[in-house]
Amino acid sequence: MPPVETENGPIKARIQELIDTNPVVIFSKSYCPYCKKVKELFKELNVKCEAVELDLIENGSIYQDVLMVMTGQKTVPNVFVNKTHIGGCDKTMQAYKDGHLQQLLGAESTAYDYDLIVIGGGSGGLACSKEAAALGKRVMVLDYVVPTPLGTSWGLGGTCVNVGCIPKKLMHQTALLRTALEDARKFGWEFSEAVSHNWETMKTAVNNYIGSLNWGYRVSLRDKNVEYMNAYAEFVEPHKIKATNKRGKETFYTAAKFVLATGERPRYLGIPGDKEYCITSDDLFYLSYCPGKTLVIGASYVALECGGFLAGLGLDVTIMVRSILLRGFDQDMANRAGEHMETHGVKFLRKFVPVKVEQLEAGSPGRLKVTAKSTETDEIIEGEYNTVLIAVGRDACTGAIGLDKVGVKVNPKNGKIPVNDGEQTNIPHIYAIGDILEGKWELTPVAIQAGKLLARRLFAGSTVKCDYVNVPTTVFTPLEYGSCGLSEEKATELHGEENLEIFHSLFWPLEYTIPSRDNNRCYAKIICNKLDNDRVIGFHYLGPNAGEVTQGFGAAMKCGITKEQLDSTIGIHPTCAEIFTTMEVTKRSGGDIKQAGC
Amino acid sequence: MKKSILIARNTMAARLLVRRIWAVSVKDFRRLPAAASLSSSSRFSSLNTSVHTRSFLSPSRSLPLSSHRCISFNVQDQDDFTERVINSDLPVIVDFHAQWCGPCKILGPRLEKAIAKQKGRVAMAKVDIDEHTDLAIEYGVSAVPTVIAMRGGDIIDQFVGIKDEDQLDSFVNKLIGQ
Ligand SMILES: Cc1cc2nc3c(=O)[nH]c(=O)nc-3n(C[C@H](O)[C@H](O)[C@H](O)COP(=O)(O)OP(=O)(O)OC[C@H]3O[C@@H](n4cnc5c(N)ncnc54)[C@H](O)[C@@H]3O)c2cc1C
Ligand SMILES: NC(=O)c1ccc[n+]([C@@H]2O[C@H](COP(=O)([O-])OP(=O)(O)OC[C@H]3O[C@@H](n4cnc5c(N)ncnc54)[C@H](OP(=O)(O)O)[C@@H]3O)[C@@H](O)[C@H]2O)c1
Repeated sequence: MPPVETENGPIKARIQELIDTNPVVIFSKSYCPYCKKVKELFKELNVKCEAVELDLIENGSIYQDVLMVMTGQKTVPNVFVNKTHIGGCDKTMQAYKDGHLQQLLGAESTAYDYDLIVIGGGSGGLACSKEAAALGKRVMVLDYVVPTPLGTSWGLGGTCVNVGCIPKKLMHQTALLRTALEDARKFGWEFSEAVSHNWETMKTAVNNYIGSLNWGYRVSLRDKNVEYMNAYAEFVEPHKIKATNKRGKETFYTAAKFVLATGERPRYLGIPGDKEYCITSDDLFYLSYCPGKTLVIGASYVALECGGFLAGLGLDVTIMVRSILLRGFDQDMANRAGEHMETHGVKFLRKFVPVKVEQLEAGSPGRLKVTAKSTETDEIIEGEYNTVLIAVGRDACTGAIGLDKVGVKVNPKNGKIPVNDGEQTNIPHIYAIGDILEGKWELTPVAIQAGKLLARRLFAGSTVKCDYVNVPTTVFTPLEYGSCGLSEEKATELHGEENLEIFHSLFWPLEYTIPSRDNNRCYAKIICNKLDNDRVIGFHYLGPNAGEVTQGFGAAMKCGITKEQLDSTIGIHPTCAEIFTTMEVTKRSGGDIKQAGC
Repeated sequence: MKKSILIARNTMAARLLVRRIWAVSVKDFRRLPAAASLSSSSRFSSLNTSVHTRSFLSPSRSLPLSSHRCISFNVQDQDDFTERVINSDLPVIVDFHAQWCGPCKILGPRLEKAIAKQKGRVAMAKVDIDEHTDLAIEYGVSAVPTVIAMRGGDIIDQFVGIKDEDQLDSFVNKLIGQ
């Protein structure tokens, strides 16, 4: 009689311990391809698993015997998830396919209608809900757009798709094409007609494209089995929300966990006439008429981008700046981007704030009178514009979603939600992602990444957190500004001026030479930390295609690129980006960075 | 997403042409006086007015082509769909379309023509997927145009995308069993 029970007692106890203390245990053999496949699956799911290689440990074959007694299975891999025996490779793959595996990994209660309710169907909310549903969870996402004071509204997908990145970049492209048309003649293209722009054609084309994106999002929610409600959500109890649809019908839903992803909306000024007569970026992209002579209020990136493309369409644009351009961004770069705009016809009214807006004449567009006062003197000025675009920042949509009822902490100053490094609020079952987070980037890819990773941590045992460091970004001013890492100001504050080496250079894109424009405008700068091997901690690029250029350097910085490695990188000629492989002049040296011909 | 991008591409060529005819009709339907728009994220919540404008401007899509009976109609809501499509005595071709979709604007009139040839033996129901999202979602529409042939409430046949007149004729003929 095999004395399995007694002699193998310690091994059995060891196996049981492994099963009890690890979310996932795989009894495996190091050379076995099926074991590899299973391990890869868990790696893909970002789940930590304990692999016990029976061919590499002592008594491996006894383990196998004991497992045979315990599970009726002697072969490897032999997989356990949260104390439940799954089986071999095929069984594990099958469990993954039918969602059983994900369920075991999450081990949720069924006391609630949903495992997860996501409030807000924008960049972050959609990514998070789709990922959670793909992991086998019951997920609902609610999205609802409160129309602007002027009545503009839009479809599913949040800010980026409807009133942000997408229409903005398309209109920026519209403006770039005008420059391209002007350049074209210098390159020998002959066209006789005077070129003019039709706002409505552009607007309709952009809106149509957005319409197709809205639909695409709706379809992908259906295909991924995410329950979607076009309704406004607010908490009524810690695990319960009220959903109000456009007809005012109320329904209630419960969930084990919640993700807040409600994003932000443009802030108004709180001066007479602002909500009645002014527009924000939320209206601009759907404006049925060309805005005409426009005053942009604010020096946020939204202000500069919108002001930039409107000027690029040939409109008379003035930007009213209270203090500085692009607060928070590298000021050297911000000012260069601003100067370029100025040389291309954008007027800047500096150190003024508006005090009232009056309507002189209704119409499409009408005529408005703006009164503004100096921030330094008593001077009052007046101006007449067809359109006034307010772009003075955005408010987090956290004030009217019942957070007080459930005790979620909100920064009373700005409505932002503080979270820990796992995007968890002070209430453990409520999480937040995207623009409403305090002190985080307000960018679509950041919201998406945070949402996806959060779902994996919540429901697939993953431990990977969103990395908010070295996030590349681009401001689509007429001359685009891309950056990654620290601004010069921030780097100085963190490391001290003496510990930084800053390399910089002006450059003249080849495509600008024949039209002979914008010489000594494009600018490249990198900030290196002398105490850390000259690691690149700030990357700044002002020039064409900044987004395309910056993306790759963002990857390099994620890998910790140093100045030496940049120098040993071979450039691609003739390009703008190659400038970064030959940066020699330090800012400290005061050396000449002007470009003189070839 | 992939699909919608595809649509957008297909649309490009068609758009220029379509725009000429539609320039007036694609009025801004999004910007409404604040009072008129009960807050909603359905983009076309206010469409009633623009639907009227549209049918007025584009006879090919909205006016009944057959003089003796109304065989081509816009679906109003779920109940209307049940009554006039699912419970219809006639076989029905359902055209799921969207305002933002260029190919839809080419296919629509072609379909109407093919159906008119049948002289009342088949009806045509038009469903704007943004107005009647639930219907479109229920019928598995992923990309537009999606055209479904129904008889006695059952889906007999369907296609996605654009087809030429001959193909449409045979699609319709097949439905009425010719
Ligand atoms: C003009 C402009 C240009 C931009 N350009 C870029 C760019 O080029 N690149 C870039 O990366 N980022 C850009 N951004 C930023 C980007 O749009 C945001 O960072 C991103 O959309 C944030 O995603 P989110 O999920 O946090 O919120 P959002 O995308 O704003 O989504 C939130 C959604 O929740 C809905 N909602 C709010 N409250 C409720 C409620 N109670 N119930 C139901 N639904 C609710 C909202 O209506 C909205 O649909 C731009 C933003 C603007 C305004
Ligand atoms: N391309 C991109 O990647 C991109 C584009 C847009 C936004 N974003 C992100 O979105 C975030 C928010 O950006 P934002 O640009 O909307 O807002 P913001 O950074 O908060 O800037 C607000 C701007 O409005 C001005 N302002 C505020 N109140 C004013 C008043 N009463 N009168 C006049 N001017 C006033 C501010 O001037 P002061 O400096 O004087 O305070 C500032 O210039 C940014 O942090 C950024 O990360 C990214």
